[in-house]
Amino acid sequence: MGWAWLILLLATYPWLLGADLASDALASSSLIFFLSGTCLVAPCRRLKRWQAVLFAACLGFLFEARRPIPDGVLALSLVAIAIFLSSNRQLLRNTPGMLRAAAVVNVSCCLIWFLASSYGSPSPATDLAGQLFLQLLLAGIVGTIGLLPIALTQNAVLDRLSIPPAPDNP
Amino acid sequence: MKESSDTRVLPSTPVDRLRLYGVFFFFFAGFLYVIGGLVYRQLIQSNDLKEQSDTQSRRVVLRPPARGRIYDRNGFPLVDNRARWSVKADLASLQKEFRAEYLRLLAAEKAREAVSIDREKLMEDARVRVLQGWLNKVWFVIDETNRNTKGRNWVAKLTPVTAPAERQINIDELRKHLRERRALPFTLVNDLAFPGAGQALTADDGTKSVARFIEQFPVEGPIRLDQDNVRTYPYGPMAAHVLGYVKDTDMLPDNVDDISEVRVESMQRLRYTGKTGAAGVELSYNNILSGRSGWELWTKTSSGYNQTRLKFSEPEQGGNVMLSIDYRIQQATESALGKLKDPQGNLLPAAAVMIDVHSGEILSLASQPSFDPNRLADRVSSKYYDEIEKTGGWLNRATQGLYPPGSTFKVITATAGMRKKVVDWDDVLDCGPFFRVGNRDYPEHEPVGYGEVNLDKMLAVSCNVWNYQVGLRTGIEALAAESRRFGLDAPLLQTISDMETGGLPMTELPYAASRGLVVPDRAYKLRIGAGAWNDGDTANLSIGQGYLLTTPLHMACVAASIARGETRTVPSIIHSQERTGRHIGSVPIGLNADQLEALRGGMVRCVEEGTARVARIPGLPYAGKTGTSEYFKKGEKAHLAWMIGYAPADHPVVAFAVLVEGQTDTNTWGGKTAGPVAKEMLETWWPIAVKANQDENSKAPR
Amino acid sequence: MDQNRQGARASYVALAVFVALWILAPSAVRRFNREAFVEFQAPALHLLGKSRDLATFWEKKSRSVEEMAAAGRDLARVNAALEIQINKFEDIRRENVRLREITHYNVPAEYMSVVARVATRDSSSWWQRIVIRKGRNDGIRPGAPVVFGNTVVGRVTAVHLTTSEIDLVTSPGFRCTAYLEGDDQNHIVLVNGVASNSLGTAKARVSVIPRDYSIPAGQPARVFTTGMGGVFPSRLILGYLDGGTYATQVGNFKESLLVPSRDLYNLQEVSVLVPLHQNPGEALMQGDQFQ
Repeated sequence: MGWAWLILLLATYPWLLGADLASDALASSSLIFFLSGTCLVAPCRRLKRWQAVLFAACLGFLFEARRPIPDGVLALSLVAIAIFLSSNRQLLRNTPGMLRAAAVVNVSCCLIWFLASSYGSPSPATDLAGQLFLQLLLAGIVGTIGLLPIALTQNAVLDRLSIPPAPDNP
Repeated sequence: MKESSDTRVLPSTPVDRLRLYGVFFFFFAGFLYVIGGLVYRQLIQSNDLKEQSDTQSRRVVLRPPARGRIYDRNGFPLVDNRARWSVKADLASLQKEFRAEYLRLLAAEKAREAVSIDREKLMEDARVRVLQGWLNKVWFVIDETNRNTKGRNWVAKLTPVTAPAERQINIDELRKHLRERRALPFTLVNDLAFPGAGQALTADDGTKSVARFIEQFPVEGPIRLDQDNVRTYPYGPMAAHVLGYVKDTDMLPDNVDDISEVRVESMQRLRYTGKTGAAGVELSYNNILSGRSGWELWTKTSSGYNQTRLKFSEPEQGGNVMLSIDYRIQQATESALGKLKDPQGNLLPAAAVMIDVHSGEILSLASQPSFDPNRLADRVSSKYYDEIEKTGGWLNRATQGLYPPGSTFKVITATAGMRKKVVDWDDVLDCGPFFRVGNRDYPEHEPVGYGEVNLDKMLAVSCNVWNYQVGLRTGIEALAAESRRFGLDAPLLQTISDMETGGLPMTELPYAASRGLVVPDRAYKLRIGAGAWNDGDTANLSIGQGYLLTTPLHMACVAASIARGETRTVPSIIHSQERTGRHIGSVPIGLNADQLEALRGGMVRCVEEGTARVARIPGLPYAGKTGTSEYFKKGEKAHLAWMIGYAPADHPVVAFAVLVEGQTDTNTWGGKTAGPVAKEMLETWWPIAVKANQDENSKAPR
Repeated sequence: MDQNRQGARASYVALAVFVALWILAPSAVRRFNREAFVEFQAPALHLLGKSRDLATFWEKKSRSVEEMAAAGRDLARVNAALEIQINKFEDIRRENVRLREITHYNVPAEYMSVVARVATRDSSSWWQRIVIRKGRNDGIRPGAPVVFGNTVVGRVTAVHLTTSEIDLVTSPGFRCTAYLEGDDQNHIVLVNGVASNSLGTAKARVSVIPRDYSIPAGQPARVFTTGMGGVFPSRLILGYLDGGTYATQVGNFKESLLVPSRDLYNLQEVSVLVPLHQNPGEALMQGDQFQ
């Protein structure tokens, strides 16, 4: 099904919105709930590569749209990760693998976002190391925990769209 | 779904694993690269780097300190620093734009099929064009006429373009900058508040253009806002000769040795522009005022632009100096002098001094014409320089101007006569319309003469003949000795201690009269080759004419000394609570009570009913002596108007001297010309003194 | 297997080509792309804001009648006092207008006030932003000052069809001039947002404070807008100087921190003051052509 990626994106978007809402509450600490990486994991198991790529790109652009970071940095990184994951599906073979992938991908994407903002900003921020550490830690935790509900939602949608289940389903 | 079925198979061969690791390595390296970038950009700056031997990639930028302030005796700032906001272009981050513009120009050149392409020239054009683009934007924002704004063109058309030169990139300056200080940002607008040749764009002292830039110009980008200090003289030309001005200096500050990272040879290539005192107190107290320079250590790129600040030390402001000047009296003095004009409406050259009788502190010291040190503080235009040169504004007439003192010298003649006992206070001399010395008649300024004249009347009417007689009786040796006793041969304002100047011999005001003072005697006349001394010379000297040359400040000191009944007053431009009122080299005047009383009484009579009566102040009796001496201006005879004195008459507090250089076409006369200046000075001083006295009394314990 | 590998390799190559194209693409393409994704999200942001309003509404609704009555009584009292002040100000305003007419004095910038609800907030180490539920359709233009009551919230940085982004006072992209309370000579100082560090309250830096300025004793010194820059109206409160102790000597001036006078993260509603006439800064932001 050609539009599976878009439908999947729409189904995933509430989770991103939820993350935004949660970040809103955290606003005074300058930390955000970063989920874009995690959202990529489950679809990469089942979608075709081109679909995963489109899904990843949109995911990235959605996140970037309202933030003053260099255009496309996150989106294109997500695309690269999507290509990698969809060509190495064996890494997402089972639940631990997926959790591991979610943590790694989410933290990596968060790092990319962080660095991109840092390059785009006019003035060097203070106490960046501590902030980066906290942000990555949060991204890792949120990414791992968030995977379960997000993957469940995404799988349910994919099932309804009758996309063939991933092989070696745990 | 062939792909997905394939993925079931684990990478079995070592080659596949290798590929997987290869991909991992690729990502890892990528992350490492960006993390490295982050660390380099954001973290290293705050951490000290380890010492590196290589200085090639380092560069030191010196940051000139703010100079100390100069206050008047009540703590009003006479010289201050104001924030200067300048707009600078960061050349390093403009590199890309330069390159793009260069390529565009190159392409255009090639399209024109130009025979030879001067790439150097193209690169320069590219730089100028890019910088000009940014400069246009800056002007667009700060110029309120909003040129270029849609729909407002008619306003722009109606308003003349202000400061057209400042709206263009100065190519010579850019070349010089790239040659000498490529590492520093290029200044687009030197002083935002006064962007057009030292003028504000609107009437609101320039704050508006600064605010417009700050609020409207994009924060990001290669255009930076910079703040530093510029010397400001809030009262403009007031006391300019005392305060002096500052000029650029290339001399390295002495604390540069702190920067151990920099090898000597790279230091030599360093250009530094700080400010140093060029005249007045700014020069003589430069060591106190100048402060310590700050510095920044930068890494530089291969093309020579600055990249990262590694270490820095903030500049330290210089110390403050408190002058003895009272700005209110100074203002009054200058406004009084400002009323003296020749028939063409030009200001007459003039000087006035007021000093504290007891401490010798100078309350006001003015010289006219003057200059505005604000216009010399930053980027001096040679036009203004020449203008001051032409009017003779550089000369401090109060301390450097050498003039024959005229009749004001008669107080010294009288003192010398009485000390030599050739005349006493109550002796009456017969004074006709002239006095014959040798074969020449020396005239009285009153055609019929004054008849019987005693000391008291002599001082009141300024009788010349009395002085000829007494002067001849006293003799040149005693007259010259008396002048020296009053310090007319001694330079003044030379009391800065070595500690204050850092071991340099210095005067309180640079170029204060230390050369050219003349107290003539026999030896002097022989020395200048004018022949032997004769009685005529003595007669001339006795009325303060002839070879005698002195300054207004000296005559003010003479008045102060007489007020105290002493011989010397050591003036000072610096305010200090610890002054004892003892004056180095001062001895009692050597007159008995009656004589001194008569001398002072004559001076009081001079103001009450004598030559200075135009300067009488009801309710404030004071002592004065006027003088009108002759001098030659471009071969023609002109007059100098003098007045010295002290006030109040019974317990003197201040002494003053006023000098006005009359022109050939002006009617200049001692009391008439100089008197009103003295009057205005005293009228300003009096209420201040009364109020200070009341405050003092109310503070005293009961 | 090999096919898969080759497919992956082809994908990477395609990605690399796309990245190159993306970098070389005219900025308009990237801007369009960004705008498209913003507009795609706009309804969701509106929804987000509305849901928050709803939550507030129910929270308010759960208050007791007595509480409401007390609040109403207090409000009535305040209203009465304000009524008198309004009359007084109206007189002053008329007098002012009259004098300006006589002296042909420049009329200060006039503003159209657009009230907007806050949709969401977004902050990081490099920017502090809020998104409001009004945009180009409502006449909002970039660069316009955003206030709440008499305090400055920030400035509009990006405007979309139905949403706008606002850089808060504490955001590094924010810069304006200010007067300090207790500075009789009205020196202008520079207020510039600083990147906040983790878990700390975001603040702004106040620099170029004259060396001899001292914070008046008693109360925290307020920081006002100057109204000179042509963007902010004068005498709006930017915040307070952060205690006397923090003022440090930086070079030849002092520096201090500014604490926003309101919790900028808990705003529900703001007003955007859209200037009636476009100022040059706005033209610069829109990238108009020059000479």
